[in-house]
Amino acid sequence: MTLMRNLLMGVMVVPLVVGCATPPPPPAPSPKLVAYAVLLDNADGSAGAITFTDANGTVAVNRSKNAVNLDGATAPYTVDDNTLQKDFGAIIAARPQAPASFLLYFESGGTQLTAESQALIAKIVADAAKRPAADISVIGHTDTEGDANEKLGLQRAQAVSGLIAGAGLKAVETTVTSHGERDLLVKTPDNTAEPENRRVEVTVR
Amino acid sequence: MNPHPLYKLGGSMKSAARMALMATMVFSGAAWGQDAIGYVKTVAGDATVTDGGKAIKAVAGTPVKLNSVMKTGAKGTMGVTFKDNSVMSFGPDTEVTVDEYLYAPAKGDLKFGASMSKGALNVVSGAIAKLKPEAVSLKTPTGTIGVRGTNFAVKIEPQ
Repeated sequence: MTLMRNLLMGVMVVPLVVGCATPPPPPAPSPKLVAYAVLLDNADGSAGAITFTDANGTVAVNRSKNAVNLDGATAPYTVDDNTLQKDFGAIIAARPQAPASFLLYFESGGTQLTAESQALIAKIVADAAKRPAADISVIGHTDTEGDANEKLGLQRAQAVSGLIAGAGLKAVETTVTSHGERDLLVKTPDNTAEPENRRVEVTVR
Repeated sequence: MNPHPLYKLGGSMKSAARMALMATMVFSGAAWGQDAIGYVKTVAGDATVTDGGKAIKAVAGTPVKLNSVMKTGAKGTMGVTFKDNSVMSFGPDTEVTVDEYLYAPAKGDLKFGASMSKGALNVVSGAIAKLKPEAVSLKTPTGTIGVRGTNFAVKIEPQ
C-alpha cells in the first residue's frame, strides 16, 4: 500500500514540480474482447435456449441465430448468415456425427431377442463401422415382472454386447450396465409384463 | 471389442457372489476406461488433450477425462463426443477445460461444467442438459453461459 501511495504521489507531484514535463501516459486500455454466444437450430429445426450471466445480470437467448455479447450484458441481437459462416462454418463442419440409439426388445423373462430386434444387430455394427473411434453403451432394462430385474437387465445387456461383438463390432470402448426395472419406458404397476419395457438400449457414439 | 475383465467372470460365480459382482459391474461401468468421459472423434491439424496434466497429441479415439484441457493450434480443429451424447467441436486456437462431469442418470448424478478461455466452440448438448438443464454451464472469461438443451456456438477472440 505504502509503495502504491508513493508511486501515485510521485506521478501527481512530478508535473507540479517540473511544470511542463511530459504528462504521465494514460492507462493502457484493456484489450477489446470480441466475444459472443449464439443460439443455433437443433437437428429437428427447433431452438432451445441459452443464458449468459455476468455481474450485470442474466440475459436469455431463445431464438435461433440470436446472440448475446460476452463483454457486458447486452440485449440479444440477430447474427447474419455471413458472420455465422465466417465465425463457425469450419467448426460446424468438423462436428462429429450425432450419436445414434437402438432399442432391442426381448421375449418375456429371459435374454431371447424378438425376431425384429435380432435384425438390428447387423445395423448397429454397420453404424459403428462408419464412425471414427466409435464408443458404445449397452443398457439393459426389464419390465416389473419377477424380482431379480437388476440381474436380468444386466444379462440382457451382456447378451446384446456378446451378439454385437460376435458380429464384428469395432469400438474403442463398450460399457455394459443394467437399470433393471428403474427406468420404465411404459409406466406400469409392479408385476406387470410389458414388452416395451423389456429392452436393451444401445448407443453408438 | 474388449469385454471388461469382470464381465468374463460373470457366468462362473455362485449366486450370492454374482449379485455382489453385479453391483461392482454396474458401479464400475462408469469408471471403466480409466475415467474416459468422452472421446476425440475428428481432428484436423494440431490438437491436444491433456491427461493428468500432460498434453497428448489428439487423434480419433484419444480419451477425454475430467479436468482434461482440449486445445487446438493455429490451424487445428477437433471434435469430441461425450458419454451423455454431448458433442463439442473446436475451431483454431481454442482452449476448453472440463471442470466437472457426472453422468450417472440411474443415480441422478448429473453435472457438466466446462470453461473456455479463447477460440471458437460449437456445443450440441446431450442427456445431462435434457435431464437437468441447470447442471450444465460453460464459463467464459467474462461470465457464465447456461445451457437449456440446445445447439449453440461461442466465439472469444481478444483483439
